[in-house]
Amino acid sequence: MRGKLIAALVVVLPAWAMLPLENRIHAENVALRYGTTQVTGGLRDRIGQGMAIALLAGFRGVVADFVWIQSHTFWEKREWLRQYDDMEVATILQPQSVMFWDLGAWHMAWNIGYAVSVDPANRTKAEGIKREREWWDKAREFLRRGIENNPNRYDLYFAMGWLYQVKYQDWCRAEEYYAKAIAFPDAPSYLPRIHARALEKCGDAIGAYQYWKGLWLQDHRTVHQPWGIVAREGKRLEDLLKIPYNQRVFPMDPARRPGASE
Amino acid sequence: MDAIRTENLTKKYNLGWRRGRLLALDRLNLQVRPGEVYGLLGPNGSGKSTALKLILDLVAPTAGGAWIFGVPCDRVVSRLHVGFLPENPYFYRYLTAVETLEFYGKLCGMGGTPLRRRIDELLELVGLAGARDRRLAGYSKGMLQRIGLAQAMIHDPQLLLLDEPTAGVDPIGSRDIRDLVLRLKHLGKTVLLSSHLLAQVQDVCDRIGVLNLGRLILEGEVGQLIKDQRRLNITVQDLPEAGRARVEQAVRAAGGTVVSVDHPETTLEALFLDALKKDSRGAGDHD
Amino acid sequence: MTEPASPVVIPRPAGSEWVGFSPGRVAAIARNTFTEAVRQKVFNILLVFALVVIATASLFAEFSFSEQLKFVKDFCLGTITVFGTLIAIVGTAQLLPNEVEHRTIYTILAKPVRRFEFLLGKYTGSVLLIFMSLVMMTLMFSAALVYKEQRLIASAREDAAGMSAPDLQQEIGQIQAATFDPDLVKALLLIFVKLALLAAITLLVSTFSTSMVFNVTVAFMILVAGHLVGTARDMWADNRLAVWLLGIIPDLGSFNIADDIILGNAIPWAHVAKVVLYGMVYLVCTVAGAHFIFSDREI
Repeated sequence: MRGKLIAALVVVLPAWAMLPLENRIHAENVALRYGTTQVTGGLRDRIGQGMAIALLAGFRGVVADFVWIQSHTFWEKREWLRQYDDMEVATILQPQSVMFWDLGAWHMAWNIGYAVSVDPANRTKAEGIKREREWWDKAREFLRRGIENNPNRYDLYFAMGWLYQVKYQDWCRAEEYYAKAIAFPDAPSYLPRIHARALEKCGDAIGAYQYWKGLWLQDHRTVHQPWGIVAREGKRLEDLLKIPYNQRVFPMDPARRPGASE
Repeated sequence: MDAIRTENLTKKYNLGWRRGRLLALDRLNLQVRPGEVYGLLGPNGSGKSTALKLILDLVAPTAGGAWIFGVPCDRVVSRLHVGFLPENPYFYRYLTAVETLEFYGKLCGMGGTPLRRRIDELLELVGLAGARDRRLAGYSKGMLQRIGLAQAMIHDPQLLLLDEPTAGVDPIGSRDIRDLVLRLKHLGKTVLLSSHLLAQVQDVCDRIGVLNLGRLILEGEVGQLIKDQRRLNITVQDLPEAGRARVEQAVRAAGGTVVSVDHPETTLEALFLDALKKDSRGAGDHD
Repeated sequence: MTEPASPVVIPRPAGSEWVGFSPGRVAAIARNTFTEAVRQKVFNILLVFALVVIATASLFAEFSFSEQLKFVKDFCLGTITVFGTLIAIVGTAQLLPNEVEHRTIYTILAKPVRRFEFLLGKYTGSVLLIFMSLVMMTLMFSAALVYKEQRLIASAREDAAGMSAPDLQQEIGQIQAATFDPDLVKALLLIFVKLALLAAITLLVSTFSTSMVFNVTVAFMILVAGHLVGTARDMWADNRLAVWLLGIIPDLGSFNIADDIILGNAIPWAHVAKVVLYGMVYLVCTVAGAHFIFSDREI
């Protein structure tokens, strides 16, 4: 009996003494924006009992993946609303999965959007276009929420910019988002090029030219860029903006150099 | 100094709040002298195993104490010179004989070449050299008993506690164990063995103690106890029938009574072993 | 009876002998425990794990590379956690009951072995088993990742027709970085500490119960409770009694950082260290508690 009492003390007292540490860890969890997910009644209904238990057991990623894979099968079966619903649940489960937001929006705007626009059930072409736009708007709203949850990742800003550029054809809004995306150090190297083009399309050719020039003037040995493309764009803008020849930096066609013999 | 000394050693087990307490051992006062073979006898449930467990500190006494070579039993150091063979030993089925003895040897602080040599020695001694690399799962009961003896002796202890060493073992195995115990005695070891197989104990023990329901009811030297002082056996050979009548008459004349006249019997065990020895296939690997 | 041929040897008085705590004895018992588990084919369970790994690595080819990698990592780490938990709880739950049932414990404690050495040896053997299982599962998991990475790089090259060389290089670099995130080590470390803690808790339960079923059930209940502590704490933050009662149970949810590592969230070593410390304190106290119960126990 004595042994059991001492054992109880030895286990319980340090556990209590560690409550501050436990709270600290929990606070850090919350601050770093991970930790427990509340399993509300609504969520449980949408994912089922078994998955709710797995969720509580800490298998959030696995549950989200199952839901995501399920959304994929709905896509194959062309059940758009169910697919949308599951993609939403996946983002509720793992709001910090950039992949879910990004791919979800892509499915909505590109895949579902196209599918509903050519749906034979559309009475008119206009109806098809209208339905397609509704899905673009859903995608945009989706990405907006995604950015809210992940303000420090470049991916969703880029995705939003691409949505504006390709679907809405709104180069200026696209440029806004590309600018945000390229501010992050881990943005891929082709992003600034895309941003430059959007800048030009939005009307700021000078800004675009400044970009290409700045890029060209970097050390070609240490920075890796498709210099052929850079040169081509830079040269094109120099011609467009009629930059005086003595201020140009991009290599000209040897045949067209002033003073060269034709 | 006694090899084992107990003083009012008592053990009561709690059987739960409704059923009260079971008195397993009642004020046992025992002294086992160094170098002797002491037999602790008694029916099942008489407290023999309890006594051994108390001496080995596997359970704590309700009252009283026990000492091994002067060291109180609740100290780990008291077990430095003790080897124990429990009843129906089991061991780890997935280990071979060598691995088993290696394990127990390491527990006793042995290692390296001395341990390996000792293992070879012991396997030879208990007759398991041929099965040394076989897993214990494939051992018969007799073989398990023998490996049990080997692990008890791995660190060459001065005192051996054997709980029912011959229970469930065939006559050949029993005899081997008996011979081993005698050999240990010859080497100056002390042995405390508990048993309820009386005939086997008789040949081996110097002194015996009889437990019943937790109390020591009888103790003494075997030789003294089993002799019937009142009667005398005289064995004669080649006596003709007529001579027999005259001997009986002489006894009556001297004031005695002829209780019985009979041909002496050998024991069934001796007959059995003899027959096997004569049969050429009786020798070799016992189990 | 005949006189003994050799003189009777009486050991030196105990004052000159001392049986101290021996790591050698603990190691012998630990190795024995580990060998027992291995020879009883505990590792066969890892064959099932291998199947899971192969399945996750080969399926889902119709998804994008980021999806495929996420699936492989989530499912493999999830399975590692599940199997690791089974090995930790079920493996440890039977240690003491088996010893008592088979009476092997008598032969061990009849030697000059302290009860604490015995308990620590059994526990260490269990932890060793957990560790080796984790190592093997991690190796299989890594093999799956390597396989996936190679497939993805190959298909990126195939689709790279219009792409410039630096862009392709960057994409390959992205695939490689996404596959072998060094932070996965942090996730595995915390999984290991959590499993060692579960084994300690199971050990504690088994010191006062001989039924393996009971041990396993109670340990799983504590596992579940440990995961609910996080949510419960938020719900009952105002109730002081609830806070104290909940405080006894370790917050096992804080060991689950695998999800976040896989998502690419940065989790600093400082945080990981705190959680490891937390787990170790619980672990040590639980083993100590087990010792106090076990040292009084009648065998």
